[in-house]
Amino acid sequence: MEPIILLEDVSFSYEGASGRALDGVRLSITPGEFVGVIGPAGAGKTTLAHALSGVTPHVRRGDFYGAARVAGLDTVSSSVAELSKTVGCVFQDIESQFVTTMVEDEILFALENFSVPRDEIPSRVDRALNDLDIADLRLRSISTLSGGQKQKVALAAALALAPSVLVLDEATGELDPASSVQVFELLTQLQRERGATIIVIEQKIMLLCAYAERLLVMDQGRVVIDGSVRRALEQPDRLLALGVNCPRVTTLAARLREKGLYHGAPPVSLDEAEAMVREALA
Amino acid sequence: MPGILEYQSGDTFLHRAHPLVKLLLAAVICVGGFLTQSLWVNLALLALSIVGGFALGMGRKVKASLKGAGSLCLFLFVVQLPFVRMGRTLLPLPFGLRITDLGLRYCAQLGMRLLGATLPLVLMLGVTRLSDLTNTLVAQLGIPYRYAFVITTAIRFIPVLFVEMRDVIEAQTARGVELDGSFKQKIRLIPPLCVPLLVSCVQRMENNALAAELRGFYLRKRGSGYRRYPLSAADAPALAACALILIIAIIT
Repeated sequence: MEPIILLEDVSFSYEGASGRALDGVRLSITPGEFVGVIGPAGAGKTTLAHALSGVTPHVRRGDFYGAARVAGLDTVSSSVAELSKTVGCVFQDIESQFVTTMVEDEILFALENFSVPRDEIPSRVDRALNDLDIADLRLRSISTLSGGQKQKVALAAALALAPSVLVLDEATGELDPASSVQVFELLTQLQRERGATIIVIEQKIMLLCAYAERLLVMDQGRVVIDGSVRRALEQPDRLLALGVNCPRVTTLAARLREKGLYHGAPPVSLDEAEAMVREALA
Repeated sequence: MPGILEYQSGDTFLHRAHPLVKLLLAAVICVGGFLTQSLWVNLALLALSIVGGFALGMGRKVKASLKGAGSLCLFLFVVQLPFVRMGRTLLPLPFGLRITDLGLRYCAQLGMRLLGATLPLVLMLGVTRLSDLTNTLVAQLGIPYRYAFVITTAIRFIPVLFVEMRDVIEAQTARGVELDGSFKQKIRLIPPLCVPLLVSCVQRMENNALAAELRGFYLRKRGSGYRRYPLSAADAPALAACALILIIAIIT
């Protein structure tokens, strides 16, 4: 299948910076994949998200090398506006994401800009609000919302557009565990029903393990591990050395394996963890 | 609770009125206050805004505006009063300064004009969504979307600046910066308060512009707005009030 995202030896260094924020990144993502991105602070995760949306090099300027194509568009020669028709983004700094004062207006903003047909707009707004359980906030002023509610509004605004590629950069940071799970469920639903490609930069590794099909581990601007979640979890020591905490069940699996008590793959769900413990006790 | 310059949800006739009619009404009250020479008309316009504000359920906004703009008006009153030399002297002051009857009248009128110009704008923003204002400026006045958006974003950023300022003060207080002290000490506090405020505001505006761009800001067309704003019969009383205020202000 033709990749929807193709990065070929992409390197980028910010203006005035000595080091490279991205360093020879090669990446191919097929439509409908759910990809998790993890790594220590300064690994280049946000720059990668910016490279996919065209923010780098158009807005955050610097030296860009290599080629990046998203949905057939070259991110260097295409404008951010052109790319934004395909790529929806929710970034870390939620407060700065809002361009209006009311929840409903925030969701309408992009729909109006993209000239979504008028008769489609009410259903899209309703669906986005209902999907995130924030229909009751519709007429609220954004300044009166909690951090978690604001994140849900930002997500709803991105989801209303139904983009082919959705990039979330630590967009669940202020959500409680239940709401984070709800957002990941929703992303999975979006992937399944609309075939959307989801790229989630996240520090909550358990969530990535449970939902992502593929995990990219970044360090110093490079993708150092790229594969299935299970494959990445098979290297707990390497992950720890990179500053990424493995789920406890994975660490337990590694220890049991060392002692010859377990021989299977690292568990990525509670059911698998239970099976592993049973095998170790048997 | 929304801030003083933010929209406050409601279902009053002014909430439902056409955004341009609300803007016109606020502008007419402001301009009327400066056109009239009658202190009583100024007082009446101010009273209209105060009573109207409470009737709209915005007593808190009215009180906050009166407190904020009132302090400035009082300051201007005190500073200007001794320098007006026209009129009958009521109280002679040292250095050839004096308080005159005309001075009292002019300074009081100036204060009322300033208050009378502030309150209607605060109330107009309280009953009008900024997006509605932007859309009508674009669709009905033909102002390019970028400019209309910049105008409303500037209004939106005023409360944001206050919140940022509060955050900076809290952060600096937590680091042991003492905000109480002599005038000299307060002058010394300006850099630790203003530099982070300036940096965070510039950063925020930059991120905000980026967020707008990522959501198709530059693709917006004049007819892209979802909501339509037809004038209705319900707008007639407000338009009549505009005409009446303007006539009274001109003839008095």
